[in-house]
Amino acid sequence: MSEIYDIGYRHYDGPRLGRGYSTRALAVHSLRGVFGLGRPARSKIVPFALATIMLVPAVVSIAIMALARQPGIPYSGFAVIMQAVIAIFLAAQAPTVVAPDLRYRVLPLYLSRPVSIAEYVGAKVTAMTVAVFALVATPLTVMYVGELVVDLPGPPATGEYLGSMVTALLLALLLSAFGLALASFTPRRGLGVASVITVYLLASASVPIIYASMAVTGNEEAAAWAWLMNPFWLVDSVQSWLFGTPPHSIEGGYPSGPASAAILVVLIGAAVAALALRYRKAAAQ
Amino acid sequence: MHILATEGLTKQFTTVTAIDRLTVTVGPGITGLVGANGAGKSTLIKILLGLLPPSGGGARVLDLDVTTKGAEIRKLVGYMPEHECLPPDVSATELVVHLARMSGLPRTAARERAADVLRHVGLAEERYRPVGGYSTGMKQRVKLAQALVHDPKLIFLDEPTNGLDPRGRDEMLTLIRRIGTEFGISVLVTSHLLGELERICDHVIVIDGGRLLRSSAIGEFTQTTETVAVEVDEGLDELAARLSGDGQTVSRQGRLLVVEVRGPETYDAIRDATADLDLALIRLEQGRHRIEDVFREEAAHV
Repeated sequence: MSEIYDIGYRHYDGPRLGRGYSTRALAVHSLRGVFGLGRPARSKIVPFALATIMLVPAVVSIAIMALARQPGIPYSGFAVIMQAVIAIFLAAQAPTVVAPDLRYRVLPLYLSRPVSIAEYVGAKVTAMTVAVFALVATPLTVMYVGELVVDLPGPPATGEYLGSMVTALLLALLLSAFGLALASFTPRRGLGVASVITVYLLASASVPIIYASMAVTGNEEAAAWAWLMNPFWLVDSVQSWLFGTPPHSIEGGYPSGPASAAILVVLIGAAVAALALRYRKAAAQ
Repeated sequence: MHILATEGLTKQFTTVTAIDRLTVTVGPGITGLVGANGAGKSTLIKILLGLLPPSGGGARVLDLDVTTKGAEIRKLVGYMPEHECLPPDVSATELVVHLARMSGLPRTAARERAADVLRHVGLAEERYRPVGGYSTGMKQRVKLAQALVHDPKLIFLDEPTNGLDPRGRDEMLTLIRRIGTEFGISVLVTSHLLGELERICDHVIVIDGGRLLRSSAIGEFTQTTETVAVEVDEGLDELAARLSGDGQTVSRQGRLLVVEVRGPETYDAIRDATADLDLALIRLEQGRHRIEDVFREEAAHV
């Protein structure tokens, strides 16, 4: 089986880089993990299949622009339209980022090195955020390049495209912080997938229920806030406040303004705090 | 020169005191940390890594304070946990390279070092296979490799022989001995099996209930008294009576007689006694006073 080869031990006296380097290396390692790079082929199927599905509307949109000479899918509404695919991506891939280190107790191997808990969590959130952002931003960019090439009458919607990119980043941050927090509380991978998707479905399903019950009691104005239960509509409402885009809700408008931005910030803060607590507990074990 | 030193170190959890006013110093070389399960060994290591704040007293590792210089300490030390800590779906090479980078080694250096240490711990071709398929012995080697990959000045090994078969245990102990001597890396190794530490350590610290029972060089443990164990086919009682009559200090341990060695005359007395009584002498074995006995004695006094 194993032999101990006697070739003598060599000491290492090369450079030892700082914690910034280690944190970046961890973020890149985790990001590769999200897309199954450096993992067996079966780990690549789900993320790349979902990324391909995300590109289909972009291609269709370009075709509409080229053949029908009219605008395709609006950039600002893309994330809301594709929300189911994005949610599945989050549910399927967030557990791969945090679950193995907790479940197989790999965390002590990190913590016995210079990286701190905050840097570890920061690297994980960054990796997931970049992954979700790439998932949304790639088709948006493809569509924008398509629009430039097709050259529709009138100026290109550069402003809306850039606004949707910023929005995509906000959405990615919100979804990642929440997805990772949920997945970190359910370290078995299957449970993690289920918990993330359940929370998304509950949030979406509760919208019409709350909306209807409030509308019936004649509280139309307050009922509109129910839309913001769904993270995609919450971010859409922030986008509408920041960039003046029309709301992409199913019917009627919804509140938009500093209040929805405040909710977004509070939610991101809460998710990050939950993650921090979870890892402080894991570190103490 | 001290590798690490604690001064009145105390760790109080809500209900238990894991470390109780522990004052101890450790020099270079291999030091064994002995204690029963729950004696506070793992807690002590976590404090020394700067991961748990002490409730009282202080500790310095490589002359760095554990409460303020934790990150710097962790740059210079390696740690092999007691429990399983390997993700099953990555290969040993991948894991060790990644953890080397977490210790700050640039990518190419991380690859070279990982290949080096995996060879040193005795993992050959199998290091490219996922860790999930490894035997316990191989997993222990991977855990040791990740603790060594950044060429630390000191490594903490928490129960490295746990779960190994006798042969794996021997190989692991030989490896630890090499790390302490050939590699020139100081080692703090914990175990609840005292006999195995006796074979590889220069110095042994015994703790119980978080308190220091004893800390001394291995020689002091083993050279206090020398004994010889005698086994005969039958007639053990007659032999014991005869030797006592000759003025030897004799005690009976199961099917063995343990005789305290006063000098060469003790061996002569045993030889003459067995020959005169016409007994079949099966074994005459030099029995050192083992750490275990010391531990038992010390524990009895506390």
